[in-house]
Amino acid sequence: MTIQAQPAPAPLDDAPSYWSIVWGQFRKRRLAYGSLWCGVTLFALAVVAPAVAGNKPFLWRVDAGPWQSPWFTSLFDRNFFESTLDIFFNCLLVPGVLALPACWWWWRRTHARARRPRVRARRRFMLMAGALWLLAFIAINAFATSSPKVLHPALAEQLRSEGHKVLAVYPPLPYSFRDVDLDQVRAPASGQHWLGTDDAGRDVMVRLLFGTRISLTVGIFAVLLYIVIGTVIGALSGYLGGWVDAVFMRLVEVVISIPSLFLILTVAAFIEQRSIFHIMFIIAAVSWTTPARLVRAEFLRLRNLDFVSAARAVGYSEAQIMFREMLPNALGPVLVTATFGVASSILVESTMSFLGLGDITVPSWGQVLNTGRTTGIWTMILAPGFAIFVTVSLLNLIGDGLRDALDPKMRA
Amino acid sequence: MLAYALKRLLMIPPTFFMVSLVIFVVLNLAPGRPGEQAQLSGEKAGTQQRESYRIFKEQFNLDKPVLFNTRFALTESEVKTLLENAYALRPATKTAQRLHAQNELEDTGTYLVRHLVSLLGQTPDVALARAITTQLVQAARRPLRLDAHDPNATVTNRTIAAQNAEFMNWTLPDSATDAEVHTTAVRWQNWWQRNHEDFEYEGKKLRLLFSDTRFYKYWSNVLHFDFGQSTLDRRPVMPTIVSKLRYSLSLTLLSVLLAYLIAIPLGVWSAVRQNTRADTAMTVTLFVLYSLPTFFVGTVFLRFFTEGDPVAWFPAGDFESYDADRMTTLQRLRDVAWHLVLPIAAYTLGSLAALSRYARTGLVDVIRADYIRTARAKGVHEFVVIVKHAARNGMIPILTLLGSLLPVLVSGSVIIEVIFNIPGMGLYLYDAINLRDYNAVMGVLMMASVLTLFGILLSDLSYALADPRITFD
Repeated sequence: MTIQAQPAPAPLDDAPSYWSIVWGQFRKRRLAYGSLWCGVTLFALAVVAPAVAGNKPFLWRVDAGPWQSPWFTSLFDRNFFESTLDIFFNCLLVPGVLALPACWWWWRRTHARARRPRVRARRRFMLMAGALWLLAFIAINAFATSSPKVLHPALAEQLRSEGHKVLAVYPPLPYSFRDVDLDQVRAPASGQHWLGTDDAGRDVMVRLLFGTRISLTVGIFAVLLYIVIGTVIGALSGYLGGWVDAVFMRLVEVVISIPSLFLILTVAAFIEQRSIFHIMFIIAAVSWTTPARLVRAEFLRLRNLDFVSAARAVGYSEAQIMFREMLPNALGPVLVTATFGVASSILVESTMSFLGLGDITVPSWGQVLNTGRTTGIWTMILAPGFAIFVTVSLLNLIGDGLRDALDPKMRA
Repeated sequence: MLAYALKRLLMIPPTFFMVSLVIFVVLNLAPGRPGEQAQLSGEKAGTQQRESYRIFKEQFNLDKPVLFNTRFALTESEVKTLLENAYALRPATKTAQRLHAQNELEDTGTYLVRHLVSLLGQTPDVALARAITTQLVQAARRPLRLDAHDPNATVTNRTIAAQNAEFMNWTLPDSATDAEVHTTAVRWQNWWQRNHEDFEYEGKKLRLLFSDTRFYKYWSNVLHFDFGQSTLDRRPVMPTIVSKLRYSLSLTLLSVLLAYLIAIPLGVWSAVRQNTRADTAMTVTLFVLYSLPTFFVGTVFLRFFTEGDPVAWFPAGDFESYDADRMTTLQRLRDVAWHLVLPIAAYTLGSLAALSRYARTGLVDVIRADYIRTARAKGVHEFVVIVKHAARNGMIPILTLLGSLLPVLVSGSVIIEVIFNIPGMGLYLYDAINLRDYNAVMGVLMMASVLTLFGILLSDLSYALADPRITFD
């Protein structure tokens, strides 16, 4: 992320920007830097989950019929991936894999050139690619196909018994997260089911894999949402002061006086057919106070500094001063809170699904853990717990490193 | 200092009021009302069930609007449409529409009377007149006074009951003739002449806008320390919550105490050995503990230490044994302690890690200060330097943490109590939200907010007391 503190005159080419200093400091913290890459790997795992596990064959051919790829068509199929969330990740999967070589090529082409144009061109490229992707996602989400449900393994069995020759290439784990195998209820860990099956005969490993999607999305989007809300409120009350500040701060006081988990659970329980989007909104609605207080404090400090007076003297509008001049300077601590926030949102979400107040249609880690608690199967307790623990640890380590990297006193 | 404390104390009631407003709105805007599903499952609901559900709504003020009452602004034509929908007077009335209109008419209650009487005088339609009279009986009937604050309740109730009984004769049978309709209409109009003042809203609108609402009724009861009854067992909510409080508080307070007792020495120990291998090991261990979710730790404890696979060292949940009443005090204390080992351990781990990290940072900052060097130069024993000079100042930051720790711990009780089946406030809330027991949920949330508010106040004050550099004047 490259955000300039000063937009107007081009800084000297060799003067590193604030964020490049922070990035350099962050890279020096090996534990945090390593955690960042582990986190990226985890995200990648969430993206490629359907390629690792699923009951749709990559390749499918009956006798000498046409070659088909039910796997690919299922990626954008509302009947197979019911949640918008899965469509979102699938959209990342297909163009993501296609875009990788393009990115590499672009990087190679521009790497040799001078620094400035590269940064600018890269930013433009990223923006364009992001916008295109978003459009594609919205289009796909709106016009997702819904073909009739076919259980390919069962179909293959049937066709084979009728004497057909069936060729089917499955992902390494040939089960989807809601495949119910009634012969294998509560099966212990084995070569067939790596972590066994739960009390409905669903493969635990696959559920955990797809649970990565749930946890990461809830964490990231809830935090994005409340960071935006909190930042705007904090900026307004810090910059404007007076009655705006008084009203917002009383509101903050009211929200933090309600034990948040109680409120979250209550609201969640009162929503019928809650989806993970509800859960994100609920988490955001009670958590925005932290960034709000932080940004307010930063703005109180910044608003007396010279560059703000200069911006005012030049005649910038209030909104410009607040969001273009001051906000970039207040973002550092917000970024740290956001990282810790993702970790705690993931915890809240898994707590909710653990207590049975999450989205019951998706394979969340907390839900698997709850099944483990009620059935007493130890793999189903330790595996999801470990998944949550690792994810939360990674995020906390990244947040720790980021905080140190932002702290001028800690610079090495 | 005293002025600051007083100011903070004075801020509590308004904050509490706003908290209750937020909770109330959130709870009441949620779709679905308690008992609705059970009472009105589709077409099967008979008049008997509808009536009992209506009384239930009336008792719990569920027929009132949430925050603002604008029912006095209802017009005659709106009432007519509602009646036509509710009694299926028009051929193409959908079931859902009918149920909705019925609910609406029941809820609107007395505000209908004026329009109903006026409609009854105008209508030539027998079916509509029947609907009107049936609805009038319901709307004009006054509820019996249930409140214990009024000593004359019995006398008033007898009068009300007599009047209500009379209304029942003023309805129309299926085969009503025009003449019958006319006589009934006249009866109602005569009654209206005598009582119309009770149903006129001119000049009272502003008051009604705020006062005839669920929120107002709830708060006027709260001021009498009446937090309503549970919709399930019809017992007052607050005594139940207070009786649950001893479980939750003993858990929370013990856990906070334990966390501070362990965290401070750990932090000091770690800070003194700063950057040694022992310090690193401690930091990593605490970090691991910090990232372990409470519900996971609790589940693991319960699964591995109570079920005999591999070991059964502790009892599997509950606050005390079922026969605790028959034990001597000492035995009982031992029994409770035995039951609480695992929950408190699971509960404490997370806050312990956070606290000792803060304790370590606090002390590391202080140890570099000049006055510590001075103390050492004077020849003060190292132990005294650390404990007396450094630790006292270095521990101030973790005092403030108490303020942010308390809400987390109060919330966290729901997880621990559900897992270990401890009948505290958290488990009560969990059951209440699953059963939609509004008053109970409301009561628990209010109680938890009060606890949090006072917790935050206490930690702020202790912070000010501990650090003489902080003044609030």
